[in-house]
Amino acid sequence: MTDNGGTPPPLLAGRDLARAHGRTEALRGASVELRAGEILAVTGASGSGKSTLLHCLAGIVRPDAGSVTYAGERLDRLPEKRLSELRRTDFGVVFQFGQLIPELTALDNVALPLMLAGATRTDARARAGEWLERFGVRGQGELRPGSMSGGQAQRAALARALVTGPKVVFADEPTGALDSLASEQVMTALVHTAREAGTAVLLITHDAQVAAYADREVRMGDGAVRPAEVAA
Amino acid sequence: MRADLRLAWLLTRGSDRREWWRVALTAAGAGLATGLGLAVAVLLSLDGQYSVAVGSGLLDQPGTRDGVVVALMLLLVPVFGFLGQCARIGAVHRDRRLAALRLAGAAPGQVRRIAALETGLACLLGSGLATAVAIPVLLSLWSRPAVLAWAGIVLVPVGVPVLGAAVSALALRRVVASPLGRVRRVRPTRPPGRVFLVVSALCTVLVLLTVLTPDNGDRLASSPARLSVFALIVLVGVAVVWLPGWWSGLLGRVVAVRASRPALLIAAERLRDDPWAAARTNAAVLLVTLVGTGFAGVRQVLLADLHAMRRDGSLGTDMAFYTTGIDLTAAALLVALVIVLSALVVGTAESLATRRRGLAAQTAAGVPRGVLARALLLETALPLLPAVTVAGAGGMAIGVWYAALATEHTASAVPYGALLVPVVVYVCCLLAAATSLPLLRRSVHPAELRYA
Amino acid sequence: MSTRHILLGLLEAGPSHGYDLKRRHDERFPQARPLAYGQAYTTLQRLVRDGLAAVDGTDADGGPERTRYRSTEAGAQELARWAGAISPPAPFVTNEIFAKVVVSILAGGDPAAYLRDQRAAHMERMRELTALKTARNADLTTVLSADFALNHLDADLRWMNTTADRLTTLTAEVDSA
Repeated sequence: MTDNGGTPPPLLAGRDLARAHGRTEALRGASVELRAGEILAVTGASGSGKSTLLHCLAGIVRPDAGSVTYAGERLDRLPEKRLSELRRTDFGVVFQFGQLIPELTALDNVALPLMLAGATRTDARARAGEWLERFGVRGQGELRPGSMSGGQAQRAALARALVTGPKVVFADEPTGALDSLASEQVMTALVHTAREAGTAVLLITHDAQVAAYADREVRMGDGAVRPAEVAA
Repeated sequence: MRADLRLAWLLTRGSDRREWWRVALTAAGAGLATGLGLAVAVLLSLDGQYSVAVGSGLLDQPGTRDGVVVALMLLLVPVFGFLGQCARIGAVHRDRRLAALRLAGAAPGQVRRIAALETGLACLLGSGLATAVAIPVLLSLWSRPAVLAWAGIVLVPVGVPVLGAAVSALALRRVVASPLGRVRRVRPTRPPGRVFLVVSALCTVLVLLTVLTPDNGDRLASSPARLSVFALIVLVGVAVVWLPGWWSGLLGRVVAVRASRPALLIAAERLRDDPWAAARTNAAVLLVTLVGTGFAGVRQVLLADLHAMRRDGSLGTDMAFYTTGIDLTAAALLVALVIVLSALVVGTAESLATRRRGLAAQTAAGVPRGVLARALLLETALPLLPAVTVAGAGGMAIGVWYAALATEHTASAVPYGALLVPVVVYVCCLLAAATSLPLLRRSVHPAELRYA
Repeated sequence: MSTRHILLGLLEAGPSHGYDLKRRHDERFPQARPLAYGQAYTTLQRLVRDGLAAVDGTDADGGPERTRYRSTEAGAQELARWAGAISPPAPFVTNEIFAKVVVSILAGGDPAAYLRDQRAAHMERMRELTALKTARNADLTTVLSADFALNHLDADLRWMNTTADRLTTLTAEVDSA
């Protein structure tokens, strides 16, 4: 995975990342690159350090060692305030569950990032409605996440992650709690939208069928990215 | 029973830090309740004239002593409220554990016993400590306490843990019913039920009846009037519990539609979703403000009156006799305020702890911590504002009414000083809510994302 | 796979020529191996021999003369019997991947390297099938057949992952002994 002169630099790159939780070393020397508009699947057994890798790359945690470069900027050196702003403007996140505020309606949940960016409530809700429409859950806009099905809630969560037009979406087991049909709907919606908008996606999953939605796959084991298999 | 006790002990020992908090706070509350209970028991065992070294003579006469006993018993109310609040610490975690016990095959009665024993053990710790302190203090004041007093000293420390265990069993009656527990979602607190409405309706009828019956001389002496005074007190209590909850819901609905700032929107939607969550604590704040403001007004007028009487030379007893009474009441009110504030702190911290995974996800998604912190403070500040205002106004009315009555020796003056009380209480409540902000900082740590 | 039953099924929709049947077969089973025309022709003749199908007539609209076939009563019964009968769940384990791994272990080869490469090839095929399935104009048959293939590849893949992990543990045990 070395840069040669011809290819453009990656949008996001983590190099030799190490990170420990207490005594467990979740990451030990993991390196990964994400190109603009690319959908990359990170697979591996549970406990192989996938989620920690995502947290480091998304600037949610700082690595103990190694570097994270996003669009030429060293994320691991940015102050927390700037990181938080970056996560709001340039990144979107989708987790297995929990990223929607349970007391807010789906529409307000999707409108929230826009309101944080300074949009008025009316504008934010209008744009949020369009995004819910794209994900086929416009009709559930006034429901709270608890009253939606798992697949609907995850599609609303995708809308929330994509509504600000991020450059990268980080998805950590986005279909982990869904059955295969709901999972298919969520993944299809994610892939179509990301491709249309040119958004890069870092997709963490232990499910090969979910990983197959990506353009490329890297496998993790023991806190590091396993040697490249066959070039995709 | 032995197996239950062993299990309860094992669960207490193996529980995490948050549960130790519950044990410590429950013990503290039980200790306080035991202390108050012991004081009441000892005072009740006195009959007739005594010379007591503390209290500036207030405890010497049966009449004034009864007043002190009533005041101490009233103080027990917020203490028990605090104990109830403590039972909610780590509630989700404990619900899950009890449900797991049920899944493992424990009968509902057994689970209820285990949970009750857990609380009982914590209460026993507190009451034991309180008794250990109280007996030497008592012996230093009273060389040979009466048998009745000893009986009280034995009964109270046993009674408090039993009561605590019973309350805990009552609080958990819904959890133990199902092996799957209430673990799926944190449900909104239920508004006061039908019984509550019936009681308040009956009280209203009673008060109206008394007011409407023609005046026949000594109204207070007649028994319907006495009943009505009691009913009036119940009615005030009912209104006090109901007002903050109702207001929270209304405020949530109105603000949520119009809110244009994220923090306000989140706070309003949380109020709308669960308006009764903080209703009990808010009711306590309301009561303390009402009584505190009223008391401050009365005290100002009374002191001015007393000083005037002393100047006139018409004061019967020593000035200290009256001021000690006033100071004791003030101290009792301060204790009540502290208890209410602790309950507020515990409630806010608990609400944060339950939501920590979601909060961590919000931060990961780039919601600034400041927005979450403001939402947290607004959630406390918004529903309290009208409660404190109404209570302050009520208290002021009491003060003004008293000032109008007691103008024998001084010119009638509105006790404006009492207006400080609601302001101070409000600020204290905000500060109490703000104490949980460091916890928010820890809750939004990405490590919380790792737990479901 | 019973080609005769599939052809019988296609004939149920109405009389058809051999070439027509081949075309419809390939349409209905897009991810299956395409049916050779010769195979379609011989299968049809056998169906006629067994009384399950009958010659319906001949057409010759401008081109060469073509025989039209139709299903018979016996054919419909046989089709219903076959469609309702369960297939024996994996009575024999005969799979090339499995065989290669076993032979590789026996011959002292590098099964881990083979599994890694095979895994990558499987993933590549799964990505192709997923792309096919999620294309906006994908029809139901494509989705169903892609789903079927994906689930089988996924099963292979899981077996390969477990085997790779087993081999690692095994090697570690041998090395430490």
